[in-house]
Amino acid sequence: MKKSKCIELVLITAVLASCNQPKKDWDDNNKVHLRSDTTAPYTRVHHGGLGVGTALLWYYAFRPYGNYNNGNYQRAGFYSGGISPMSNVGSNGFKGAVTRGGFGRGGYSVSS
Amino acid sequence: MKRITITPRNNWQSAVEKLGFGFHTTNVPYWDETVYYEMEMSEVLFIEKATAELWDLSLGAVQHVMDNNLYQKFGIPDWFIPLIEKSWIEDHPAIYGRFDLCYKNGEVKMLEFNADTPTSLYEAGIVQWFWLQDFDKNKDQFNSIHEKLIAYWKYLKNYLTTGTLHFTCLKETLEDLTNVEYMRDCAIQAGLETKLVFIDDLGWDSDSKQFLDLEGQPVKNIFKLYPWEWLLTDEFGKHIIEDSNRAFWIEPAWKMILSNKAILPILWELYPDCAYLLPAYFEEGKLTNYVKKPILSREGANINLVMKNISLQKTEGSYGAEGFIYQDMFTLPNFSDHYPVIGSWIIGQEPAGMGIREADTLVTDNQSRFVPHLIN
Repeated sequence: MKKSKCIELVLITAVLASCNQPKKDWDDNNKVHLRSDTTAPYTRVHHGGLGVGTALLWYYAFRPYGNYNNGNYQRAGFYSGGISPMSNVGSNGFKGAVTRGGFGRGGYSVSS
Repeated sequence: MKRITITPRNNWQSAVEKLGFGFHTTNVPYWDETVYYEMEMSEVLFIEKATAELWDLSLGAVQHVMDNNLYQKFGIPDWFIPLIEKSWIEDHPAIYGRFDLCYKNGEVKMLEFNADTPTSLYEAGIVQWFWLQDFDKNKDQFNSIHEKLIAYWKYLKNYLTTGTLHFTCLKETLEDLTNVEYMRDCAIQAGLETKLVFIDDLGWDSDSKQFLDLEGQPVKNIFKLYPWEWLLTDEFGKHIIEDSNRAFWIEPAWKMILSNKAILPILWELYPDCAYLLPAYFEEGKLTNYVKKPILSREGANINLVMKNISLQKTEGSYGAEGFIYQDMFTLPNFSDHYPVIGSWIIGQEPAGMGIREADTLVTDNQSRFVPHLIN
């Protein structure tokens, strides 16, 4: 006998099934403007491509972004790769303390 | 090994999507259950034996590259060599790899080793297993990937730095995310504390010299589905050696040697009597029928199949700047103009299962399909 007798998944089905929701409710007429930081300007996001309106919402969720200062966590705001960089970072000083985006320029998928 | 055509499950798209498998179809079908491969147990045992032996030989080849300072042949920059050797000497955690094998006429030949960022783990470990439950659950399959991943994460837990194990991949690829989230699923089941951070989002704190996630939490252990050669050329690449946490990167840096096709001539030079290896050289002209491969390339790009100085098939791509190797031609078996390659998994130190990708040409590229298998 070579195969696993029983397979249980605790994370992936819920997370990834949510990436495959139909694209209903979105069309080109939707006008949505977002920013992740109250000190940053709004920009419009578009359906499809890299916008938050794609079905793959998991990619574009807003994630908390902050720093530890003397052991205390200070939330600077939120960050999303699905919106314009100018709407991610405003004049918020915490966000400037750490540089990001220095990895990930290598390609689109590692598929091998 | 037989190729058998069948009618797919009526609801197969929905069945695989329930598993979280969202990239079953792109512009062409990727998951293909209109066909499966039937293997004899003796064939599977043979592939398993070959995989175990190739793994042992690969480890020997890594030591040889280090002992003889052959990094230049791999295009590895000098500044990174100390970390590669440190990760090897200190035995930094490593969990998996996938040999691409050609199985034909009772012979197994290694085509290459995806030792750093192998994909199709989820298809091999999960999707084809659940397919078999529906198709004929009394049949066997060469597939203990899932339980071996959980068991090996449990083993590695003691070797990681205390705290969170981060998981990372590129942001805009569902295939990579699926593979990473599956791996994280197994780590969670092994009792590890985990967190996903996309590699595009990783931060570098130049004051404290550490990598941070989006919550400012230092990265001390990180599983990456992102190749070392890309990490090194990215803007943050040199920070890896400055990292004050000396984070464990999984797969470890020494896997750069095995994932590079320059390992193929090294293996042949060291083990010419091994029945699972094909003659391979750095120099052109030693073989009459050969496959010219860039030492760094992905998804069958920039491959040239040459027979008696005539190019049979040549694929496009943007690789090759780092150099090429020449491997004796051992064409994939032809099943009615379908050409299967066997991806044989090593989890920890053991063979763990296989997945079959099938192409319509002799080169397995990004148009190939994943096809399930069973043991008769």
